[in-house]
Formats: sequence, C-alpha cells, structure tokens
Amino acid sequence: MKAIETTGLCKQFKGKKMTRVDALKSLDLQIEKGEVFGFLGPNGAGKSTTIKLIMGLLKPTAGTASIMGKDSSTTDSRRQVGFLPENPAFYDYLSAEEYITFVGSQFSMESSLLKRRTEDVLKRLDLWEARKRPMRGYSKGMVQRVGLAQTLVHDPDVYILDEPMSGLDPIGRALVKDIILDLKRRGKCVFFSTHITDDVEKVCDRVGVIVKGSLVAVDRVENIMRSGVEGYLVHLRFQDSASRNFAGIEPLRTAGSTSEFYVSCSAFNAFMGEVNAAGVEVALVETKRRDLEDFFLSLVNKP
Amino acid sequence: MLSIVRITLKGIFRDRIFQGIMALSLFFVFIPSVASLSMRQVTELSTTLSLSLISFIMLLLAVFLGATSIWKDIERRYTFSVLSLPVSRSTYLVGRFLGIAIFMLIAALFLGSAAIVSIKIASLTYPPARPLLWFAIITSIVFDALKYIIVVAVSMTLATVSTSFFLPVFGAISIFMAGTVTQQVFDYLHTPSAQAAVSAAIRKAALVLYYLLPNLGGFDLKVHAIYAIPLNTQGLLLTGVYFLAYTGIVMSVGALLFARREMK
Repeated sequence: MKAIETTGLCKQFKGKKMTRVDALKSLDLQIEKGEVFGFLGPNGAGKSTTIKLIMGLLKPTAGTASIMGKDSSTTDSRRQVGFLPENPAFYDYLSAEEYITFVGSQFSMESSLLKRRTEDVLKRLDLWEARKRPMRGYSKGMVQRVGLAQTLVHDPDVYILDEPMSGLDPIGRALVKDIILDLKRRGKCVFFSTHITDDVEKVCDRVGVIVKGSLVAVDRVENIMRSGVEGYLVHLRFQDSASRNFAGIEPLRTAGSTSEFYVSCSAFNAFMGEVNAAGVEVALVETKRRDLEDFFLSLVNKP
Repeated sequence: MLSIVRITLKGIFRDRIFQGIMALSLFFVFIPSVASLSMRQVTELSTTLSLSLISFIMLLLAVFLGATSIWKDIERRYTFSVLSLPVSRSTYLVGRFLGIAIFMLIAALFLGSAAIVSIKIASLTYPPARPLLWFAIITSIVFDALKYIIVVAVSMTLATVSTSFFLPVFGAISIFMAGTVTQQVFDYLHTPSAQAAVSAAIRKAALVLYYLLPNLGGFDLKVHAIYAIPLNTQGLLLTGVYFLAYTGIVMSVGALLFARREMK
C-alpha cells in the first residue's frame, strides 16, 4: 500500500468563453511510506490543484487519488493525514490553543493526550507565549506555524504540505526543514509542494517536477545531483612555486604556490594520474555540478 | 459535530457585529415609556413593541449569521483547513447550522426575558383591560425564533452554491418576505373571485411556490400574545412538525449542493 497514490488524475476547469483549461493531465504518482517527496513546479503548474484533489477538496475530472489506500473522496482517507494548505487561514477569533484543540478533537484524540500534544507542538513551533491570543492578531509567519502545528498534533503517518516555507523568515524555514527531517527519521511520509529548489535538495528523497499540468520528471534527488556533475575544480600546491600543466590542462589561476585547474569528468582520471606521478600535493577537489535549480529550469524551459 | 457547534457559538459571541446587533436590545428599556405615550392600551402596545423589536433583531441575526457564516468560511479560506480534517461536508454544514440555531434560541431567551420585564413594568403601571397570557407571549417568542431558524437554513443553503454574499443575504430577505404572505396568497387563490380573475397558469405557479417557499405565517402568534387569545395546541404541534420537516429538507438540499461544490 502506497502512502499517496494517484492514477490518471485529471482536472479541467471552465475557462472563459466556454473553453476548458487542463489544470492537470493524467497524473500518475506513487509515494511510499517513510518517503519525503518534493513536488516542484513553477507558479500555476498544477501543484496546488494536485494537492486539493488528493485532499478531496476538488473532484477529479478523471482518475483517482488515494491516501494510505483509501479513496480521497472519503472522509476516512483524511484520518491519517496532516494537511497544511497554501497560505493557510484559520478561524481568526480562536486562539492557537483553541484551534489546535479543535483539530485534535476531530481526530478523536483522548483529552489528556491532546492537551499534552497541544503543548508540545505549540512549544516546538514557538507559539507557546501567544497561545491564548486570538489568531487575528498573529503575523503571517505565526499563522503558518499554527498551520504546521495543526498538522503535527495528531501525529499522522502522512503529511501533505502546500508551500510550507511560504511566509516564514530564515529561522522559521530552518525550523520547518528540521521538522521535516525529524518526520523522515521517524518514518513518516511527507509530500510537499514548493518552487524553491534549495528546500527540496536539503530534505527530500525524491522529487517530481510538474510543468503546465504534466509531470515531466520524477527521480531521486541523489540521482539528479550525481547526474549533474560537470567537472572538478582541483587546487594543487607546488613545492617549488612553479606551476605547470597536467594532461594538457592549464591552470585557471595561480596564487603563490597554489594553482587552480578546471578538469572535466572525462579528463579527471588522466589528470590525477599525472599529478600523482609528479608527487604534487592536492590541496582541494571541488565538484562542479548543475544544481537542482538548473535541473528544474532545464525542464521548465524545455520547448 | 459538537466541536463544530462549539466553535460556531464561540465565533458568534466574539463577533463585533453580533455585539452591535444585540446592543439594539437596549431599546427594551424605553418600551414602557414609549407605550405610555399612547394613553390607552399601554400593555398591549408594550407587548406589540417588544415582540416587534425581538422580531427585528432576530431577522438581523438570521440574515447576518445564516448568510455570512458559510460564505465567510469559503471567502476567508477557512474551509480548506476544516474540510481537510476527517469531517464530512454535511457534518460541517449541519454543525454550523446547529450552532447558529442554538444561538438563535439563546438570543430568543435573552430578548424574551427583556421583553417580559418590559411588558410586566407596563402592565403594573397601566393595568390592561384583558389579562396577560404569559404562555402565549412566551410561545410567540419561541415560534418567532423557529421562524428565523428556517430563514437561517434557507440562507445557508443559498450560501452553499453562491460565490458572493448577495444571493444568501438578499435571497434570504426575499424568501422571508415571500414566506410571510404565502398562506394569504394561497387562501386568496381559493376564493371564488380569484378563481375568476387569476389565470389557471398563474394559480398553478403560485401553488408551486406555496409548497416550495417556507410558510412563515403559521409561526406568527403575535395577535394571540397581544390580545391574550388562547392558542390552538394542535395548530402549534402541526407548525412544530412543519418546522422540523422544512428545515430538514432545506438542510439536506444544502448538504447535497455543498458536497458537490469545488473548493478552488
């Protein structure tokens, strides 16, 4: 059983002048339990539509979606999910504590456990001091943190987070990344959408890229990072302060006794062989790679 | 569902607009003095003014709460978070409705108590010609509350399909106005003069509307309360059953429509 699964999931919206807009085109996606999956895509690519379909907030034009094997159209499918909507909004006349308690009660949590868990999540998300104040007085970042707190309170197996870092300052973003990594350690499944590649690179096991309603790539982050290696920047330190060439490669620059060489993947072995034979000290080898952002941009800009 | 009812009640009590509407109940203080200006039938006039003030406040509350609760939840995106919990849409809708309905009954109790004090003061100062029928006054207030709970149900159902507040607000007001006269129109259409003057097609259309729109005339017991006319228990029972049936049907339709609504 997959944590999240979609099969041929399509969504059409009515456009202007009786036209139809394909927001999502036959999405097939399987996300395993214990996996952190980043859902990347530019604005308007269909990330939020996919999430709303998985959460049963929208009805698919075709196809199916399920959470922990339960069809998304059923109330039961939401029993094991913590969901953070994009730009979340909660009853602003309630305090964070009241809202978290309300959410916990919907999951039939036992009252002493709910009280304890509420305290835990509010403290963890730095909302403890403000817990009694109505949320209408909260900043955007605080509301976002309430959103995360309400996903954590019932300790579900699946987390679906729509742009979880949105509206957070660097400290908040680091906190969210920590929380996601902690969930990963505890074997939880986290599916989150973002358009910030750095977030995906740091916390995800796999990434899916959606462009104009179609899933254009799904791969493990480590594979993408590995396939993106373009060459190496090698720093050599010479005893006699006299720089020279190895395997026909000239130094990019020289400062004192140290020279810097750019070596392509194909020339790397030959280069290092000559360096070893000459007994030159290797000070540093830096990998030059296309990062996830380049990978993402290459997919988005593909004609 | 209970927790949805609870947060609905919290939301109403903490709303400033509600507090403003309830401030209108201060007018009860002036009712005995205003009624005394009539120089006669002071108690009857006090009763009329009190019941009318209750009606006016309850109408404002019904339209304000019924029409805006669901619409506001959708507009402010509260529904995204609530409906992604293991709560069915019908549970959410009925929970919101029950919260408002309970509040309407609490408001009726509060306003009714103020009205009773006001009428009592007037009757002690200017003893009425006919004895006061407290049971009729209280029943009139209770049935008034039931009438406005129907208006709440109608406006909430309209809100389940509307993307703006115009339909639930003005729809509820229109249906309320039409609902108070459906019985009179129905009775008129069955008179010999109407049979001759009104075409068969219009009579049929009016009949359809008679069954479709709420019949709110039966809930108006003000005349009984003001002039101490004994109430017909069987009629009250029938009206009570009508209230349950009509509200149940309207909310079921609302739940069906809301289940089909896309949360974009």
